[in-house]
Amino acid sequence: MPSQPPLPPLLASYVSNLPDSSLTLVSSILGATSNWLVLRFLHAALSAPNPNVAFGSDEPQNGIKKKVVLVSFMRSYEFWRTEAKRLGLDLARLADKQQFAFIDGLSELFYAPQATSTPPSISPAGLGSPRTTLPMRSPPGAVPGRSPQPVPTARGVRGNVTTKAEPGIAKKLQFSGRGLASLDALEKDISSVIEQQKSSMEDGDELLLIIDQPDLLLAATGPSMGIGATEISEWITALQQSAHATVLTLATDAPLIQNASTSDVKMATPLETEHAALVIGLAHRAQSVMQLRTLDTGAAKDVSGVLRISRGGGLNTSEKENLEEREALYFIQRDGGVRVFGRGES
Amino acid sequence: MAPINLSHRRTHNLLLISKLLSLRDTASPLTLVLDSLEQPATPLLKEYIRRAKLSKVHVTLVAFETLKQPDGVDAFVSTRRKSPADIVKEVSAVYQPVAASNSSRRRLILIDSINPLLNSKRVDPGFDLSSFLGSIIAPTSPSAKIDVSLVVTHHQDVPELPQQSPYSPSPISVLTYLATSIITLHSFSHVLAQKAARDRSLAPPVFGLEEEQEGILLGRLDRLAGTGQAEGIVIELEHRRKSGRGVLEWYLLPPASRYSPQHPKEIVTLLDDNVLYNPPMERDPSAGDEEPTSTFELGLTDRQRREREGVVLPYFDAQHNDGPGEGGRILYDMGEEDDFDEEEDEI
Amino acid sequence: MSFRKRNISLSPGVDRNAVPNATAHPAAPVSTPGIRPSPDDGRPTTSTGTRSLDNLLAGHAGLPMGKILLVEENGTTDFAGALLRYYAAEGVIQEQKVHVIGVPEQWGRSLPGLIGSVESLDEKRSDRRKDDRMKIAWRYERLGEFGAVAGSRDAPNNHGEQDAAAKEAPAFCHAFDLTKRLTHPSITNMSFIPLMPSRESPFLAILKRLQTEITSSANTIHRIVIPSLLNPTIYPPNACQPEHVLQFFHALKALMSAHGTRVTAMITMPLSLYPRSSGLVRWIELLSDGVIELCPFPHSADAMATSGAATSQEEPPQGLGVYSEPPAIRD
Repeated sequence: MPSQPPLPPLLASYVSNLPDSSLTLVSSILGATSNWLVLRFLHAALSAPNPNVAFGSDEPQNGIKKKVVLVSFMRSYEFWRTEAKRLGLDLARLADKQQFAFIDGLSELFYAPQATSTPPSISPAGLGSPRTTLPMRSPPGAVPGRSPQPVPTARGVRGNVTTKAEPGIAKKLQFSGRGLASLDALEKDISSVIEQQKSSMEDGDELLLIIDQPDLLLAATGPSMGIGATEISEWITALQQSAHATVLTLATDAPLIQNASTSDVKMATPLETEHAALVIGLAHRAQSVMQLRTLDTGAAKDVSGVLRISRGGGLNTSEKENLEEREALYFIQRDGGVRVFGRGES
Repeated sequence: MAPINLSHRRTHNLLLISKLLSLRDTASPLTLVLDSLEQPATPLLKEYIRRAKLSKVHVTLVAFETLKQPDGVDAFVSTRRKSPADIVKEVSAVYQPVAASNSSRRRLILIDSINPLLNSKRVDPGFDLSSFLGSIIAPTSPSAKIDVSLVVTHHQDVPELPQQSPYSPSPISVLTYLATSIITLHSFSHVLAQKAARDRSLAPPVFGLEEEQEGILLGRLDRLAGTGQAEGIVIELEHRRKSGRGVLEWYLLPPASRYSPQHPKEIVTLLDDNVLYNPPMERDPSAGDEEPTSTFELGLTDRQRREREGVVLPYFDAQHNDGPGEGGRILYDMGEEDDFDEEEDEI
Repeated sequence: MSFRKRNISLSPGVDRNAVPNATAHPAAPVSTPGIRPSPDDGRPTTSTGTRSLDNLLAGHAGLPMGKILLVEENGTTDFAGALLRYYAAEGVIQEQKVHVIGVPEQWGRSLPGLIGSVESLDEKRSDRRKDDRMKIAWRYERLGEFGAVAGSRDAPNNHGEQDAAAKEAPAFCHAFDLTKRLTHPSITNMSFIPLMPSRESPFLAILKRLQTEITSSANTIHRIVIPSLLNPTIYPPNACQPEHVLQFFHALKALMSAHGTRVTAMITMPLSLYPRSSGLVRWIELLSDGVIELCPFPHSADAMATSGAATSQEEPPQGLGVYSEPPAIRD
């Protein structure tokens, strides 16, 4: 298998130069994950313009510097760092250069290890009340510095929430309480990181916000905690306002979409109804929707899945609606390279 | 349909849609636009805004999902974290300065999506959709008489949440009941594909979410096989007149790139008048007689026809009265083996 | 197709050079028993206790560390439970710390007895004795090649030293006998975390204990065993609320990724109660790293006759393993 360019040519126009205040959806299903596509967005925004120039040169591309804030609810920083490295992106270095910020929505979202949780007075009832004794400090892992050990080294420094617990991670999100207040807290955390990034931005610089699976937030809270599709959707709107362009990844598995879409709405669980309402509602707002799915005919040796790019229902602020809709196959190689090609081509 | 009938329908219904889209004579105070992912309402809303600009109507966008104020919108009301009452207040507030200057007596209020409001967890159970819409349309300050047209978009494919009160009608029923016009949008290429299938007595194809294929949200692709250059959106209009008589008509709105923003004339056409939807019948006068076509030449050349006419058929002469047969009589000579009985038989 | 180790020679078809970042994965100490690098990309893996299952895990020839494997089962059979017992027993043999959630300690006494390492068993395979190991006919897709390669890859490349190495190197996967009971000194080391009835999430106490035990013993390898998740005879009724079970899965995933080199988890779930067509189950699947669905065949003579048994010597398959997502190929 020949190695592939980090950004498949067919994809280039869809993942780079996203229009101002646009919303792009990446939808995935079980068996056709969206991680590779998110990495392509990262690469399009963060890579040095000329592949021959050594990576990390400070040459701005077209005078526009791009920054990325990645909020991930399903994947650890370590995962993104490793996978981005395969594309030639050094996320840790980019984070040092204030070009990239990672917000960890996995490690401590619903259950914070006691040592790093917020002070007891703020700690919500039932969500891991802090222990009275300090836990034993974990010795470093087998290969220190390689494996992510969110067991922070600064264990004793409690209450100092703003401390960067780990290199590369700008913020760890923690969900507490219920309803809008809890979403507001998350929004504040993310906005503060975005503002921090923006503080070093000049006019014309663009900030790309990528939120990986915000639908998890909805699924794991739900109407019984006062959070529904409308609330999550408004939460996204608020975050969108501070970013140049926003990319969301969402799950569109059949049980999550179709149970509620069919006429038999009575049978759908609130989880399914809210999820479908969120995803379809967002598709109505999006400028483009990139849909990933597995091959209709079953698995194949040289095809990982199908990518369909469609225009969403969103109002285009710019008059030129030049997004060409298309459907292509993609194949993820073992080395992480991705080939995107039309049907019948190889 | 008789041509007279069609032309009457054409004049009549085109005038109606023109009135509705240009907000003349407050033909429809509450228009409900039902859209789907397969045909979003954005092109239609843009058309509303374009026409409003041409006739200097004040445009307010109540944004439940729009992020930034689009071109041509005079007032942009963000609804984030606002209760329905606050929204109503703000909608009326943004018009106050305009009303004072008295420059415009007409006003268009667009709601880009009513679904978030209906699905919101924050809205208290006492929220009444009809009074909410009513208070938007009816001006709070009755001093200045203004004509308000409200256009509400509802995404049909966003699932409705279960009702809090199982006995009250669902919000969509309320909306369709209240609306004076209901516009349902379809993608032209899908309408064509479905018509083509129906013409062949096949099951009409479905698109997008209706495909029920895992991972598919949108089925719309630019080049849908077999529909050619189908652009534009199909408007299915149901208009309730004051008299109570309903009008049902299908129209076609061409894409915005086909005409200039200042285009004054009506650009909407009847769907039935579209060449792609209703291809004109092939009426070739030279091929008037309906001969079955086949790979064999069944006709005759002129020479063949002449020669055919020249052929004298056998016994042709016998049919003349003066011929040997005297007009076709049978001549028979009796033989001895014939048992001829003069009393019974006759020649 | 019954998957069974055959001594296939190493196929040269797979491009080994395409794994340039093998070192990128934090390699567990070589000396750790029961852990070996994946032949696919070098990440540390551990055995599930079932050789054929190991071979199916996306070419890693074992369950990669830090991953959650979800085994779903249709019907009322308990093949998934058997797989889970093998997984727990393997953990006991490898002296890993096994955490079992929601079931009493009797569960631990029903672990299958040890026969020997798979490698040693393979040598005796020629005389084909009574073999009670559980086998499942896997309908696997495009993974067979990796499995075959992986199965033979653990043998050292140097054939001269093979025998010696096989004796010295600790076994990766063991064979067990379901009809016997496991006796091993470290079996008492298993921890059983009961479910406490609570008005809040019943999973909070579990998370707390797992968190404490895993962070406090940094050099131990852990196995989290969750039999029959959300089974109403074990779990309280509010456990299947999405805000409880999904938050638990999310927190578990966070825990796994925080200690990515020393924890694995295997979870079984009854599909009869929670069908795959429901959104809740789909979210659980999305939060897991690998999903396997077991579809047992009904036990009838017909099924036997038309089964996929290749020869009369092989036992007929008892079910079909449908592979929903290759665990952790690309995460």
